[in-house]
Amino acid sequence: MTPILEIKKLFKSFGGLEALKDINFNIDRDEIIGLIGPNGAGKTTLFNCVAGIEKPTDGEIIFKNSDRSISIGGKKPETITALGIARTFQNIRLFDNLTVLDNVKIGRHCRTKSTFFGAVARNKFQRSEEKAITETAHQFLEFVGLKDRGEEIASSMPYGDQRRLEIARALATEPHLLMLDEPAAGMNPQESRDLMALIRRIRDKGITILLIEHDMKVVMGVCERVVVINHGEWLTEGEPQDVQKDPKVIEAYLGTGAADAA
Amino acid sequence: MGKDLLQSAYTRSKIVLQKTSRGGKIRIGLLILALILPFLPFITDYILHIAILVLLYMILALGLNIVPGFNGLLDLGYVGFYGIGAYTSGLLTYHFGLSFWVIIPLAFINGAIWGILLGAPTLRLTGDYFAIVTFGFSELVVLFLTNEIWLTRGPLGLPGIDVVSIDLTLFGGPKWEFIGELPYYYLAIVMVLVTVFVMYRIQDSRLGRAWFAIRDDEVAAVSCGINLLVYKVIAFAISAAFGAVGGSFFARWVTFLSPDMFKFWESFLILCMIVLGGMGNIWGVMIGAVVLVSLSEVLREILPLLGMPVNVRFLAFGLIMVLMMRYRPAGMMPIAAVAAQMRAGRVKRKKVKPAVGMKK
Repeated sequence: MTPILEIKKLFKSFGGLEALKDINFNIDRDEIIGLIGPNGAGKTTLFNCVAGIEKPTDGEIIFKNSDRSISIGGKKPETITALGIARTFQNIRLFDNLTVLDNVKIGRHCRTKSTFFGAVARNKFQRSEEKAITETAHQFLEFVGLKDRGEEIASSMPYGDQRRLEIARALATEPHLLMLDEPAAGMNPQESRDLMALIRRIRDKGITILLIEHDMKVVMGVCERVVVINHGEWLTEGEPQDVQKDPKVIEAYLGTGAADAA
Repeated sequence: MGKDLLQSAYTRSKIVLQKTSRGGKIRIGLLILALILPFLPFITDYILHIAILVLLYMILALGLNIVPGFNGLLDLGYVGFYGIGAYTSGLLTYHFGLSFWVIIPLAFINGAIWGILLGAPTLRLTGDYFAIVTFGFSELVVLFLTNEIWLTRGPLGLPGIDVVSIDLTLFGGPKWEFIGELPYYYLAIVMVLVTVFVMYRIQDSRLGRAWFAIRDDEVAAVSCGINLLVYKVIAFAISAAFGAVGGSFFARWVTFLSPDMFKFWESFLILCMIVLGGMGNIWGVMIGAVVLVSLSEVLREILPLLGMPVNVRFLAFGLIMVLMMRYRPAGMMPIAAVAAQMRAGRVKRKKVKPAVGMKK
């Protein structure tokens, strides 16, 4: 398997706090990989570094796509999105005042072109582009199971649907790698099961998925490989079942001695 | 034959009217009212003058609305662009006798250039810091207009700017000068219609959506691939361009300019219109302009009768703002989402964008 993303010797510090220390791992194409670790382990910081929201202090992040490998460490987030990495957020970040459909349409931004003159003149190119944007947005809404809900206001939707909408918006940017930050947080068991099915369907479209998740049922149910980090350091990686039994991992979550008790 | 034509036109318009929605009918009604306004019996030249002022402020408020209403950035220096537009138009007319119809596109480009010049370096700043820079810019414009006497005649003002005219002598036609308020009234209506048209088109486009995304959540916006700086600068430039166009109209309408017409108060007044009417809502902004300009004129008449100086009216504006913030923070006509939340009776104070000093 060829990797789609290589993280090499990644460091990130905020002043004196070292949030990430020497992180190394690869993400293979078309896999669903989980990133787990106790609270404050640095998972979201790692996400932010890959997505370009935070600039790594040191190290390399290499994104490989269609025979090209590009070092994306420190690049701007909009550039990284355009290259084909999309994400969702731990605390849902939708465009609250806009409709569901508009939220997804904004996801199409980096794949479309018209600006001021197109908007005012509504020339042929702009009209066909706008039509395509609307059609694709509807397709993505249907894909995540929000068909015919396009006219609702994003912030008025139930929590689980907001999560789905965020995923639809991320998919609308046509990513090769999709990073989901705790997508199952706050979901009931039924919603979690639906989410897992959705994640598998996304992978079947040929999109690699990196997943941060605390809900172990989801991690075990959907991930093919799991990377564990603790205190900003790489702890272990492997198949979910093996990682779950690993004494180091149990210790990281439950403290010293817990592994023996288990 | 003619009767048939009239008949078919009548039936066709009837069909069109049946097809238009209630909102559309209100719009058409208001437009017709605006068009016949000058011929209503109680309309004096003074009232027509106020009406033109209302229309001018509609253009300005719609232009400013792009920055705080669509992008969620506080702009306290809008009047700077208005002043630049007015003086550029005034000086070009004064020295070179350029036609108004040539000046309007030039003013648009000129305003946009100044918007880019100010916006490109400063839009990296967030929230309040950006507001302070824009405030400084508008003061700078006033100082420049006051002190560069060789160019602007400073505090003496710039008198004798030509009125707008339609000159068809080139094609052997007549030359028609705009004298009195009436032609300016119709010119202003056309300009407002064009502005509203542009705003509606932008609102429903990729550009508008990018702006709304920036307003609602900058981090999510960049994650969708929106370049914040570029789109903010575009917004600022277009906003400034409309300010400059408004200024050009103002220069050719009052035919006299002086630096103290472009003081900070004007920016504040225009911002008040937006906040009062409903930030980001095109109709709300226009209503805000109607209410505040009319109120300003009414107070100008009433306050001296009560033995108070005319400038007390700014106190009244301040009071209105405080009351609005307390009872309807989203304005009289909030944007759709906020309105929906309010109807549902679960408006969260946090969710309603605070009007001023929006993003930290």
